[in-house]
Amino acid sequence: MQKRTFSRKYLGIPYALFLVCFVAAPLIVLFYYAFTNGEGAFTFRNLTGFFTDPNTLGTLFYSFGIALVTTVFCLLLAYPTAYILAYSRLKAKSVILMIFIMPMWINFSLRITALKEILTWLEGNLAYHPFLNTVLGMSYDFLPFMILPIYTTISRLDGALLEAARDLGAGERGAFLRVTLPLSLPGIMSGVAMVFLPAMTNYVVLDMLYNSTYIMGSLIGSYFAAYDWHGGSMIALILLGIICLFTLLTDGAQEENTRGGTLL
Amino acid sequence: MTMRSLRGTGGWGKTRRMDATVWAAGRRIQSVCLAAGMVCVLSASCLTAEASGGKESSQEEITLRVCNWEEYIDLGDWDEEETIDLDSGDIIGENSMVEDFEEWYYENYGVRVNVEYSTFGTNEDLYNMLTLGDTYDLVCPSEYMIMKLLTEDQLVPLSEEFFDSRDGNNYYINGVSPYIRDIFEKNEIEGKPWADYAAGYMWGITGIVYNPELVSLEDASSWKILNDPAYRRQVTVKDNVRDSYFAALGAIKSELLTSREFLEDPDYRKNLEAEMNDTSEDTIARVQEYLQDVKDNAYSFETDSGKADMVTGKVAANYQWSGDAVYTMDQADEDDFPLAFAVPEESTNIYFDGWVMLKNGIGDDALRQHAAEAFINFNSRPDNVIRNMYYIGYTSVISGGDDTRIFEYADWCYGAEEEEEDVAEYDLSYFFLGEDAEDPKGRYVITAPSEQIDRQLFAQYPDQDAISRSALMVCFDEEQNRAINQMWINVRCYNIYDIPVWVWCAAGIAAGFLAVIGIRRIKR
Repeated sequence: MQKRTFSRKYLGIPYALFLVCFVAAPLIVLFYYAFTNGEGAFTFRNLTGFFTDPNTLGTLFYSFGIALVTTVFCLLLAYPTAYILAYSRLKAKSVILMIFIMPMWINFSLRITALKEILTWLEGNLAYHPFLNTVLGMSYDFLPFMILPIYTTISRLDGALLEAARDLGAGERGAFLRVTLPLSLPGIMSGVAMVFLPAMTNYVVLDMLYNSTYIMGSLIGSYFAAYDWHGGSMIALILLGIICLFTLLTDGAQEENTRGGTLL
Repeated sequence: MTMRSLRGTGGWGKTRRMDATVWAAGRRIQSVCLAAGMVCVLSASCLTAEASGGKESSQEEITLRVCNWEEYIDLGDWDEEETIDLDSGDIIGENSMVEDFEEWYYENYGVRVNVEYSTFGTNEDLYNMLTLGDTYDLVCPSEYMIMKLLTEDQLVPLSEEFFDSRDGNNYYINGVSPYIRDIFEKNEIEGKPWADYAAGYMWGITGIVYNPELVSLEDASSWKILNDPAYRRQVTVKDNVRDSYFAALGAIKSELLTSREFLEDPDYRKNLEAEMNDTSEDTIARVQEYLQDVKDNAYSFETDSGKADMVTGKVAANYQWSGDAVYTMDQADEDDFPLAFAVPEESTNIYFDGWVMLKNGIGDDALRQHAAEAFINFNSRPDNVIRNMYYIGYTSVISGGDDTRIFEYADWCYGAEEEEEDVAEYDLSYFFLGEDAEDPKGRYVITAPSEQIDRQLFAQYPDQDAISRSALMVCFDEEQNRAINQMWINVRCYNIYDIPVWVWCAAGIAAGFLAVIGIRRIKR
């Protein structure tokens, strides 16, 4: 009689099933639709169509622009905050950190609705500044994702390195630029990835803040609403490709930086 | 590193029927309490049925899969105070319409029917659900989707029995408004009249809800308000191709559509319908130009925020469906903020949501078809019509036939109190008797406060004048759809040729900078 042993790898079965059903299967469907036409025949036309249509390229550019400005804005807000927080001797540090994280506990569409009222109060008529409002809305939504990783990296920095820098004659500014900033780059990178990627597709924020220009997410939606599964799938696939590329790049940069960090 | 996905996408998706949501939410709380009571009642009725031996075929149970718009049927659980006290008796929704139907069907036909009720958000969603393999027996899309399904041979015709006016349970055929019935019989698709396949449910027209303090009736009575610089960033527009296309057609053809020559042509209705369904290349190009202008001028395209923005005063005017217009004005009235409704002079889009039976659900199952048709009839029973109308705010296609309760209900809602002095006569005979019928005794004239003439009453039951310039928007074929969708994408997308030169320069400099850093790193 064979002895039944419980192997630890059985624990992976639920997740493997999950992967097959909700990651692999949809991807296969996505690929199928992206490379077929209405008759089900194989075609590259969806792909070439994407890169020859001024609208899809323009939308890609516009989404990229929104994501870029949002990321830069978040970074400018988040870095000083995280830096001050990490080095402050406040006892209430965790409380302050909590204040930044707290909005994440509230449903984001509720938060955007509240922001809409505040912006209306400030600007009078929201519709005059759709781009600005979108950037503000997205920054409001994604800021915690930028603060947290940066805060974590900075607060884990070895204080001895800074002391060494000062001993060797670096001023406040020099020590920051040559030690703290390069060493916190991994945190910045993961923050950037966490803000930039969702900002490219989060069309709900645009919609709620009355920006009538499509970004990638809404463009895919409009293809589906017009029953064009093939064109929509191709756009989704290309977006997936861009995200993969971006993730690889930031991961590469992070590795390089951790190596650079140990060398320092 | 893992990528964090978005947490929920919130309220995306156009819903024609969002308005009852808040209202219904309040009711849902009560429903928890009532549910327990209902279980007792239901099980009790089961027991009695079994004890009495049941009727002939009580063993078999029919499952009826119904798919309707979200919040588009009475879900019951009304407050005592919400009772509609007509002279002919009180009407109140205790149970949901679906439960009432199941009970009614068993009482009348001795067969248990189990309704699997589900909902959809847009016509396109429903169509995609059907294409992806969902099976339903009875669905309630808008007229153009009905036409599309009919062209694709997906529908089962209504049975002859359904049109037998001698059967007392055939509330639909005995109650449908002669005016609507006429439209359903006259409009054909591929030689088949709609009426053979579709039974109407709710209907309405499109128009402009406006704040009379900021917008004149004259300005609100033209589609041109959407790009009127006088209302820059103060008007919201429906965020869907068909509605926007219709409004744009009205605006660019405004001069023609309001010219005396056009209006007095004996073929006016036919010409109007042709003009409002014009998809020639040249027209589409002009519509695109117009809508681009609208995009730069309007407050925004909206999916369902338009009603709230109107009530809170963020915008001065709002392109709206009449049923939602009623809701918007009701809401604003609660804050003592009077709004009004106008129907553009050029034309208005008349629309219908109707029940159709699907081939892949019903098949040849006569029993199921009978239950489906009974469901339509039950929802056409005057008291149920009133319950649905009260609950969802839209206007039913049912006028009640010999039963006067629906007119009574309209009068109950909008009629003037006896002591009121500033009143006006509002003639609804076209709806209750037919477009060409005479109403010498004025049986279907409501004496309403005169302000109602351009408010809720007007939106709920548009007057003959507005109706006379209504046009149906047909279902476009694949090629037309492609052209119109492309036009819409052109309007909504940022065009790469619009990128200013300085952005290209900045991007070039940034790319160069990054390249230099990269090269230096590699060298090191």
